[in-house]
Amino acid sequence: MAGSLATGRAEVPSSVHGKAAALLLFVAMNVAAQAPPDFGGIWSPSRATGPGAPAPASPLLLKPGYKEPYDARRTLEREASARGEQLAAPGSLCAPYGMPTMMQVAVYPMEVIQTPKQVTIIAEAFSEVRRIYIGKAQISLDDVSPGYYGRSVGRWEGDTLVVETIGINPSVRGYQGMPHSDQMRITERIRRPAPNTLHDQITIADPVVLEKPVTYTLVYALVPNYEMVEFVCDNNREYVDEKGVVRMRLGGAGK
Amino acid sequence: MRLKILVVSTLAVLLGAIPGVAHHSFAMFDSSKQTTLTGTVTEFQWTNPHSYIEIDVPGEAGTVKHWSIEMGSPSILQPSGWKHNTLKPGDKLTVILNPLKNGDPGGLLFQANLPDGRKLGNGPGRGPK
Repeated sequence: MAGSLATGRAEVPSSVHGKAAALLLFVAMNVAAQAPPDFGGIWSPSRATGPGAPAPASPLLLKPGYKEPYDARRTLEREASARGEQLAAPGSLCAPYGMPTMMQVAVYPMEVIQTPKQVTIIAEAFSEVRRIYIGKAQISLDDVSPGYYGRSVGRWEGDTLVVETIGINPSVRGYQGMPHSDQMRITERIRRPAPNTLHDQITIADPVVLEKPVTYTLVYALVPNYEMVEFVCDNNREYVDEKGVVRMRLGGAGK
Repeated sequence: MRLKILVVSTLAVLLGAIPGVAHHSFAMFDSSKQTTLTGTVTEFQWTNPHSYIEIDVPGEAGTVKHWSIEMGSPSILQPSGWKHNTLKPGDKLTVILNPLKNGDPGGLLFQANLPDGRKLGNGPGRGPK
């Protein structure tokens, strides 16, 4: 009893101390094991080579009725390109790319801001923003206003953030220009296989348009100390002529 | 060789090799031709989605032809040494460009030789680094 007075603690059998310590240690280890990785930072499009490089994209298999017009359009684009022309695309009208295209536009970086409840991705090109709600349930497609970014919810599976996105407007140009329905569902598996590398494995499923889901992986490299550059598309001197071809307006804006 | 691979891969990204996407294909410019112009800057547009140099180029018998030169966006140009105030109206400038295929007086910048002697490119893989 004197001992417990000296320490100011109630006397507790040592076996209980031992169990409590073991429990604390277990909880601490478990928390450490489950603490999600931090994806925060500026990431630039990159190419992975050698061991650890992701698999190449799976083939894009469109259902009959969607395949023919898609193939015809791709042929027209190739022919236009051979003539030195480009057919109109959303970017040539300063429209946002939306999901999933915004996840990698040319050489432009993106900023990832991570908090326990939300991962926010800001693409430098066209200043596109998407929000991924961590731990929230997905809502009914009927309750999502169709848009460029849809509604994204995420959950951690070990070191991987699994993101489900629904509600992309069918008018938003799809992966490689593919058509898509309002049933399109995008699943991303985002992880950081090395301190300076981020992978986003994107799977697009669409029971209306696709024979089977298409999967491809985008690779990014960390860009330390980069400050994002403002990108407001307010001087678009490209225009689309009566043949649907992109032209450059000469002589200065407004002239 | 390593540098060559890097340049090719950078261009591949720029030109929209799958699975990424480029803003546009640059198909309207003739990448196999280079035209060199010397003239006077009338306007420098440090803007998105592209920046532009407007330049008056003296021709024969006192004529002046106006050219519009497309560049990358500010984000693309900054690593090549460009700033919002690199050029101002009245500056004498020599530019090397890939001309428009349709023959209009416009092109895509490859290199600009500035009044202060600097030679600036047009983003990764285009002109001097």
